[in-house]
Amino acid sequence: MDNLISARALMGVSLAFHILYATIGIGLPLMLMLAEGLALKTGDDSWHDIARRWIRPAGVLFAIGAVSGTILSFELGLLWPQFMAFGGPMIGLAFSMEGFAFFTEAIFLALYIYGERRLSRRALFLCTIPLTVAAAISAIFVISANGWMNTPSGFSMVNGVISDVRPLEAFFNQAWYHQAVHGTLAAYVATGFAVAGFYAADLYRGRETAHTKKALALSLAVATFFLPFMLISGDWAATSVAKHQKPKLAAMEAHFHTTAGAPLIVGGWPDPATGTVAYAIEIPKLLSVLAHKDPNAVVQGLDAFPPGDIPDPRLVHPFFDLMVISFFIMAAAAGWFWWLRWRHKELKRAPLMLLMIASPFGMIALESGWMVTEFGRQPWIVRGYLRTSQAVTPNGGLFLVFATFLLVYLALTIGILRLLLRSGGAGEAGGGGEVHSD
Amino acid sequence: MTDPVTLSALVLAAGLVMYALFGGADFGGGIWTALAFGPRAREQREALFHAIGPVWETNHVWLIFVVVALFTAFPEGFADLFIVLMIPLVIALVGINFRGAAFAFRHFGRETGREVPLSARTFEIASVLTPFTLGMAVSATAAGRIVLTNGVPINETGAWVNPFTLMGGVVGMAICAYLAPVYMTVRVTGDLREDFRKESILAGLALGVLTALMLPLAYYQAPLFAQRLLGSWPISFVVFAVSSGIATQLLLLRRRFFLAQLAAAGTVVFTLAGFAAALNPDLLIGQLTLRAAAAPRPTLIAFLIVLPIGALILLPSLFYLYWTFRGEPAPELPPAGNEP
Repeated sequence: MDNLISARALMGVSLAFHILYATIGIGLPLMLMLAEGLALKTGDDSWHDIARRWIRPAGVLFAIGAVSGTILSFELGLLWPQFMAFGGPMIGLAFSMEGFAFFTEAIFLALYIYGERRLSRRALFLCTIPLTVAAAISAIFVISANGWMNTPSGFSMVNGVISDVRPLEAFFNQAWYHQAVHGTLAAYVATGFAVAGFYAADLYRGRETAHTKKALALSLAVATFFLPFMLISGDWAATSVAKHQKPKLAAMEAHFHTTAGAPLIVGGWPDPATGTVAYAIEIPKLLSVLAHKDPNAVVQGLDAFPPGDIPDPRLVHPFFDLMVISFFIMAAAAGWFWWLRWRHKELKRAPLMLLMIASPFGMIALESGWMVTEFGRQPWIVRGYLRTSQAVTPNGGLFLVFATFLLVYLALTIGILRLLLRSGGAGEAGGGGEVHSD
Repeated sequence: MTDPVTLSALVLAAGLVMYALFGGADFGGGIWTALAFGPRAREQREALFHAIGPVWETNHVWLIFVVVALFTAFPEGFADLFIVLMIPLVIALVGINFRGAAFAFRHFGRETGREVPLSARTFEIASVLTPFTLGMAVSATAAGRIVLTNGVPINETGAWVNPFTLMGGVVGMAICAYLAPVYMTVRVTGDLREDFRKESILAGLALGVLTALMLPLAYYQAPLFAQRLLGSWPISFVVFAVSSGIATQLLLLRRRFFLAQLAAAGTVVFTLAGFAAALNPDLLIGQLTLRAAAAPRPTLIAFLIVLPIGALILLPSLFYLYWTFRGEPAPELPPAGNEP
C-alpha cells in the first residue's frame, strides 16, 4: 500500500468506526429525554426504568465515541497536515464551536449517568435536555467542516495563496445546510432502528419483560417520526448536489453521458472504461425530474468534466443505491409495525423478523451516505482547490500506522461485543433484558 | 496584549494548563492505581476509580480543545508539529484509546473493581505511557532539535527523542502523579486521607527534584530555552512555581488539604506558564514564530469571539458537574444486572 492509500484507508476506517458511536451519541440522548419526560409526565416509572437500562451500554458507547473522536482530531494533523494548513483557518471555527457543544454533551451525560443518587428525578430529566441539544448541535457544527470541503467558500485565492478569509462565510457554506439536516436527522433514525432491533429480538425469542413493548414502541416512534424527513431532506440534498457538485451527482447516479431527459439508473455496476452500467434498471427521464424538476432538463454526465477531476462511480453509485434501499427496508418494517398496532392486531413473528432485519439499516444508510459524499468528492479533499494527494503527510510508514490503528479498532470492537453480549443477551437495548437478579 | 496572535497563544496555553490540571489528574489516578501501596492499597484504588468515573470524559475533552485551538489559530504550526511528532502522538493516541476503553469496559461491565485484571492492567499501563509521550511531544517544541527547511520540517527521530524530551516526558508523568493524590485528600477521610497525603508529599518531592534537574539539563540540551527561561521575565514563573510547590508541601504537612489542593494546582500552572513564556514568541523554538504559524486575522478574531460565548455555557456546566460529584467518591452506578 502506498502512503496515500494507507492514509485514506486509515481515515476511512477511523471515520466509519467513529460514525457508529457518534450516531448513538446523538440519537440516544433524545430517547433518554423522551423516556424521562414521559416518566415525569405520566407518573409511570417504567419509562424511567427503560431509560436507566440504557445507561450502561450508553456509557461504553459514548466513551468509545469520545476516544475515537480524539483519534480523528489527531489524524487530521497526522495524515492531512497540508489540508489543515490550508483549510484550518476556514473550518477551525466550526470545530471550535463543536468543541464547546461536545464539552456540554460530556458534562450532562456524566451528570445523567452518574447522578441517580445525587440528583432529583426532575434534575435528571433536565440534564437530558442540554444533552440532547448539545449532541445535535455538535453534529450540525462539525458537518459544516465537511460541507466546506464539498463546497468551499469564505476565502479568495490570489496567485495560489489564500487571502481575504471570511470565517463566517466558510461556516455557512452551501452544502452545510442540507448535509446538516440530512446527517443529523439520520442519526435519530439509525439509533431508533438499532435500539428497536434489540427489543424486537427479545420479543421474537419470547424473552419479553414488562418494558419490552413500551421500549420498542418508543424507539420505533422516534425512528418513524424522522423517516419521512430523510426522504424530503434527501431530495433537497440531491437537487442541491445537482446544482453545486455536478460530478458527484453524476457519479451517484452512474450517469456517464450528458443527456437531456436523463433516465434514473437503479442498481447495476458502472464500468468507467466503456461508460456503461451493466445489469441496471433505467427509469426514463426520472433523473432529470429529480435533479432539476424538469423531465427534459439536461443533466451533465461524468464526460462533461476533465478525466482527472472526476470520482470513480464504482465507489459512489452502489453506496448511493444502498442508502436508498435501506430507506425502503426501514419504511416497510416501520409501516408494518404501526399498521398492526393501529389495527390492534397481534405482533407476530414475521413483522418482528422484518424489524430485526431492518434494524441495522439505519446505520448502513448513514455509513453509505457518508461514503457517497466522500468518494463522490474525490480526487479532491477541498473541491476544486486541493487534491487529496497534495494534502497527505510527507511522512513514510503510514501503512504501519494504519495497521496499528486497525488493531486498536479490532480490540475495541471485540471488547464492546463481549461486554454488550455478555451483559444479559439483549445487549444494547436490553442491557440485561431477562436478567432480574434482585 | 490585545493582539489576536498573542491572545490566541494565551488561549492555547490556557487549554494546555486546563488539560494538565484535569486530564493530568485523571492520568495520575491511573498512575497511583498502579503504584498504590500499604495496607489500604485496595481502598485507594477503588476511591481513585470511583472518583474518576463521572469526570474522565470531560477531563479529556480539554485535549480536543487544545488540538482544535492549535489547528484553528496556528494551522501552519499544527501541520509542522503533527508531521514531526507523528510517532509520539500515535503512541499517545493508542494510550488514550486503550485507557478510555479499559476504563469504560471496567466501569460499565458486569464485573467492577479489581476483578478485571486485563482492563485494570491496560488502564494502568496506558496511564503511565500517555502522559510520558505527551510530555515528550510538548517538550520537543522547546528542545530546539526540530528544524524547518523552506518551511518544511525535517523528520528525524532525534527531533523528539533526546535527553531534554525524555526528561520532559518524565516531568509530564510527575505532574499527573502529583495532582491526583492531592485532589483526593480533599475528597476522602480518615486513614485513606493519610495515605493520599503521604503519596502527595512523595510525588511533590519527586516533581520538585525532576523540575530542578530540568534546569541544568536545559542549559546543556536546550540552550535557547534555558536562556529565555532564566535570562528574562519568565524566571518569575520559576520562582512562583518553586514557592507554590514548597507551600503545598507545608500545607500538606499541616493537613490543610483544601489550600494544599489549590497550591498544588498553582504549582502546575506556574510550571507550565514558565514553559510557555520561555517558548514565546515561538511555537517551535528558534524555527517558527507564533506570528508565522498563525491563521489570518479574521480567523483569529472569529475564534476569540466564539470563546467567551462558549465559556458562558461551559463554565457553569463544568462547575455544576464538579459540584455535584464533590465529596466522598462512591460507586454511582448499581452493579450490572441489578437494575430495576
